[in-house]
Amino acid sequence: MSHRLNERLLRAGCPRDEHTLHRRRFLEGAAGAGALSLMSFSGLFSLPAFAEEAKRSQKHCILLWLCGAPSQFETWDPKPESAYGGPFGAIETSLPGVRFSSLLPQCATIADRLAIVRSMKTKPNEHFQGIDLLNRGAEPRPPFVRPTLGSVLGQQLGQLDSPIPSFVLLDPCPEGNEFKAFKAGNWAGWLGAEYAPVRAGGEFKIPDVARLPDLTAEDHEDREALRRFMTKKFANERQSAAAASQNAAFARVKGLMSCAHLFDLERLPAADRQRYGPGAFAQHALLARHLVENGAPFVMVANGMNWDCHVFQHEIYQMLVPEVDKIIFQLLSDLEERGLLDSTLVVMMGEFGRTPWLNPARGRDHYPDAWSLALAGCGIRRGVVVGATDPDGVDVTEKPCNEKNLFATIFTALGLDPYAEYDLPGLPTFHRVEDRAEPIREALA
Amino acid sequence: MTDTPMPSTPPAALKLEQEKIISLPAAVLGVDISRDGKTALAACMDGGVYSVDIDSGRYEQFGKHASYASGVKFVPNASLAISAGYDGALLWHDLAAKQLVRKVDAHKFWSWKLAVSCDGKFAASVSGQYLAGGYKYEPAAANEPTVKVFDIASGELRHGFELTPPVLSVAFSPDAKFAAAGNLMGDLRVWDLESGQQAAAWNTPDFTSWGIIKSHHYVGGIFGVCFAPDGAELLACGMGPMKDPMAGNGKQTWQRFAWRENPPQKRSQIADADQGNGLMETLAFHPSGRYFVMAGRLAQGQWNAAVFDAASGALAVSLDTKMRIAEAAFSADGNRLLLGAAVGQGKPKDGKRPDFGRIAVYAWRSGE
Repeated sequence: MSHRLNERLLRAGCPRDEHTLHRRRFLEGAAGAGALSLMSFSGLFSLPAFAEEAKRSQKHCILLWLCGAPSQFETWDPKPESAYGGPFGAIETSLPGVRFSSLLPQCATIADRLAIVRSMKTKPNEHFQGIDLLNRGAEPRPPFVRPTLGSVLGQQLGQLDSPIPSFVLLDPCPEGNEFKAFKAGNWAGWLGAEYAPVRAGGEFKIPDVARLPDLTAEDHEDREALRRFMTKKFANERQSAAAASQNAAFARVKGLMSCAHLFDLERLPAADRQRYGPGAFAQHALLARHLVENGAPFVMVANGMNWDCHVFQHEIYQMLVPEVDKIIFQLLSDLEERGLLDSTLVVMMGEFGRTPWLNPARGRDHYPDAWSLALAGCGIRRGVVVGATDPDGVDVTEKPCNEKNLFATIFTALGLDPYAEYDLPGLPTFHRVEDRAEPIREALA
Repeated sequence: MTDTPMPSTPPAALKLEQEKIISLPAAVLGVDISRDGKTALAACMDGGVYSVDIDSGRYEQFGKHASYASGVKFVPNASLAISAGYDGALLWHDLAAKQLVRKVDAHKFWSWKLAVSCDGKFAASVSGQYLAGGYKYEPAAANEPTVKVFDIASGELRHGFELTPPVLSVAFSPDAKFAAAGNLMGDLRVWDLESGQQAAAWNTPDFTSWGIIKSHHYVGGIFGVCFAPDGAELLACGMGPMKDPMAGNGKQTWQRFAWRENPPQKRSQIADADQGNGLMETLAFHPSGRYFVMAGRLAQGQWNAAVFDAASGALAVSLDTKMRIAEAAFSADGNRLLLGAAVGQGKPKDGKRPDFGRIAVYAWRSGE
């Protein structure tokens, strides 16, 4: 590991993503090197040039999780000429011939930075199954639990020197019906608890992680070393997953102790908070940007399951969509301005779409047959619309894409092999994306 | 403040008999009936404004909004109708010539509801977009007056009143001297149309939900207001709070206020035993003044349209129409009740899209 890694670091002029010291590579290398100590690698990060380069080449992903399933008609695939189009109409965008819902006026001005997929076609039409599918990228195969996108990317993109959790879930809503049930489940799957999300936002504060005032830093480190030793001894003697999880939890708390301030909305500039909008989702989208700026590899922003409007479709969408419009515009603009857009993939989606036809309550119901999502940033082609639906939005007419195509796209965009095999002794063979499903090439840079 | 739920003791012999159901191409959001009870006007989701011959069921489109048409009213003592739409426009229609005679761009956002005063002098339209104004999604202030009163003869704006958006309901007093409106947050206002001054302001928290279970924002509000025949009391309707703001399953609710008192007093409300669950969108008094109807959508329960005894508040007759009713209107003689409504839009079949607008026509049999 050390040889391979140092050789890469010393190589001049090679692509900057080659310089990244990823947690994955470190672990692979550590396994090969055997007796290499953690301290020797930590020492690498005391070299300012190394640390800076690693930080600079870090890739990130922000998932704006529009849980409950947003309507494609009121967002990316308006059908103003159709009887099913709804009351909001459509507006021209910066891409000639491409229209968005009139509820997205700011996104319309940056359509040339977005990749819109209008031809998502998936199977589940119930929330839990849809949420599970679009977070894991494959249908369930019990008893094996595939890790969620956040856990995989947290593992792959996370960096050794970062105290920030590799997977942050910002969701102020403690409930969320089926999303609540999903949140209570196993996010990290076979990757292990280390890659589960740290949840924050709203009432989910980063817990009391301040070191007690009467405890010196040296004493604190000594205690932590003792705890590590005892746990290691326990784990060695018993092969305990619980011990491994406990270790992961302590490691996480230790990291959080040094970065809890990054989660404090009140510390963010008032002007920034105003630009994003006052609502909880907007504020947490800003927080996601802030965390990414400070090294977080994966941040998922959600707000309960508020897009599931069976009854008050237009009454609520008049508020929800303009909020997202502002968020996307501000987030992408900020990332670009900070030089982070090329290294940060932003995914904007829910678990499926909504029916073209209104139900008797004048709402839209679940619809996985033809729906839309948006991508931008790292590895994504700018200003492209992929796929199409028929004039009423009932079915996909061009380039149907499913969850596997989407996940292959996300991994490819981030420079990860979408078909890499998991190293899971004793388990069947699993890949990041099964069936060698093709990425959505038209959406890739 | 008094709050006395009324017992449910149905008066004998009152019946509503369904005469017919008339289909229209798109959901009916607003309906009115001519004085002779023979013609209905309908404002529909396809933007169309329709004239409907009730006996034959034939209809004709005579107006068109650029978005959903949300309301239409006959103008008393004139061959004129006014419609409103989600395009923010008010349209004046000459009914004899079937021609558009005036267009007023009333709002930057939708017209949620339209009212015309019984003397034919004023038209009122309410608007306002729900936009996030705080961390908990409190509604942001509007950038224009959300309640506007127009002079029908000239089309000029007579008053622009401020009320936190969205403002979902509006009504004139029977003497046409006052206008009332209600919004998402349960705020109610009455304005004096002569002075332009606010005559009453109060809030009822019983129609608004903040989502606990599924999502954190506000939903619901006061969807219908109606003055009692003597003008001294104002009725409001909607549904009670829900934990899941998307479910639409709050209690079917009306409340009645003595708005001239300072502060306004709640006099009565629907009895608990009479409530099902679902959004109530419309209130209308029978011309006799002895009854009023409340109607909307049924989520769970027995009815989505019900007639209440005006004096006692008791439920007299109820119906489950299997539709979402947006507006109710009585003929001048009180013998007909129209319910403007919608069923599910339906999937396209053989390249055609099913009609999903309905006008339910009921004969009022009082047995007296």
